[in-house]
Amino acid sequence: MAYVHVEQAVKSFPREDGTDMLVLGGVSFDAKERGITCLLGPSGCGKSTLLNVIARLERLDQGYVEIVSNHGESGTRLPQLGYVFQDPRLLNWKRVEENLIFALRGMDVPRRQWDERIHTYLGLVGLLEFRKQYPLYLSGGMRQRVGLARALVIEPDILLMDEPFSKLDQLTARKLREDTLEICARLQQTALLVTHDVEEAAYMGDRIVIFSARPAHIVEVLDNPFSPLERDLDDVRFIQFKKQLLQTVLNLVKEKEEA
Amino acid sequence: MSSLNNFTPTGPTQREETLSVHSQAESLRGATEAPFRRAKPAAAREMLKDVGLRVGSIVALVFAWWVTSLFFPPTLVPRPWDTFAEVSAIVSTGNFFIEMGSTLRRVLVGFGIAMVVSIPLGILMGTLRSLESFFEPPVILGLTMPGLIWAVLMIMFFGLTETSAYAAVAVTIFPMLAISIWQGTKAIDKDLIDMSEVFHASAWSKVVDVILPQLVSHLLAAIRYGLGLAWKVVVVVEMFGFSNGVGYQVVRGFNVFSMKTVLAWAITFLVVMIIIEFGFIGWLERSVTRWRPRVEAWRR
Repeated sequence: MAYVHVEQAVKSFPREDGTDMLVLGGVSFDAKERGITCLLGPSGCGKSTLLNVIARLERLDQGYVEIVSNHGESGTRLPQLGYVFQDPRLLNWKRVEENLIFALRGMDVPRRQWDERIHTYLGLVGLLEFRKQYPLYLSGGMRQRVGLARALVIEPDILLMDEPFSKLDQLTARKLREDTLEICARLQQTALLVTHDVEEAAYMGDRIVIFSARPAHIVEVLDNPFSPLERDLDDVRFIQFKKQLLQTVLNLVKEKEEA
Repeated sequence: MSSLNNFTPTGPTQREETLSVHSQAESLRGATEAPFRRAKPAAAREMLKDVGLRVGSIVALVFAWWVTSLFFPPTLVPRPWDTFAEVSAIVSTGNFFIEMGSTLRRVLVGFGIAMVVSIPLGILMGTLRSLESFFEPPVILGLTMPGLIWAVLMIMFFGLTETSAYAAVAVTIFPMLAISIWQGTKAIDKDLIDMSEVFHASAWSKVVDVILPQLVSHLLAAIRYGLGLAWKVVVVVEMFGFSNGVGYQVVRGFNVFSMKTVLAWAITFLVVMIIIEFGFIGWLERSVTRWRPRVEAWRR
């Protein structure tokens, strides 16, 4: 399996006036193996930047990200990453299955495995019957499911998700959260989920890493006392946990303002 | 670590009275998750109306022509029917196919050359800033250069050969094609490029699967304008002294002052253009944009 370790990550972006804006001010944490780690923090605090660093779309100024994957048969190879974006980012001119093939081909998955993989992962997200459909004929929630299937079909060591539910309507988002949680639990998928939504973090995260506002540092890392199957949105004790988490985050914001 | 870490679920699971939201969610999901449907065949009547309008517009044009012809002698404005008779004479002698064939070949070869050069150049200009700066002035200058001047220059350089016709067409339409592909490339979705990097797409796959499909509408527009421009230039080249082609036939009509002949050739020319426009390009457009649902609710 795979693990992610982030050590003293520092990253700044140039502002328009030439000065630098510090986004990540020395961030360290370990992601939970075979579980979902939620990166929770206020909007614009640098969570997504960190996810892009892990996906090798951006580089750190200082510090490092360690991703290790051990594969029994082939020894150690480059870790593979699946990414679910905020928007589905599908190739709308390709059918659903061709969108998955795009990822399979890029990741050099042998061609003879394609059909079985597509079948498995489209089935997991419940879109098997839409295999030959074009994305724009699907609803927003279904498109996001295709995005999830595309990330999973390469059987990534780490699944990265950047606020994947934030653009969906409440009911669609709720259903997709449930399904994503179930799929990740079933696959024992190591995953990182970026969110600014405290409830979502409480519901999705096996481990919750709380970020401060910019420049981001880690204020708290806590493991979810509820296992994925126990997280019942209507359970009084779970609601209590959510409230406590929310209170923690609110206190942080208040401390920040007072400081 | 905070007290939250010590928060452990204890005791039997207490459930609040289940909210009705859950069952609502299930039933509403059907509505929110319903996929788009393709247009119903009920749109057939709509299409018939559309065709009717198009035919009506042609009929109105011919009518206006006929009314005009009543006020002028036939040597200046020939009657529509006489002209149509001339058209059928041209076509029935088989003359038409030879002349139009030569003209079409010149247009298509010149057009093909311009396409092959402008697609890669346009994409490179859209992606590399330095190439953009370097090629922008010649492309803009080329755009302002009249096709007539290119025709003269090419005939002076290559003589009255097929090459000069191909070159004149290619050089005239090249800047326009390059500009639209260049602008189209600049407008492509950066997020999709990021996506293709995450999934380790090869450079080839990035161009073929991600960039080119986003240029399709720009390319189609470029093909339309480009063909329109190509016809104009090729006729000019042929008028300069070629011994075949539609342009040559038009000059012949001019030399004997036969308005009827000039118009008849112009009409055959238009018909071929319309067939290419609605037949070939229309088909091309439909087949490359099948993935896009037709949502035209905002049009009346």
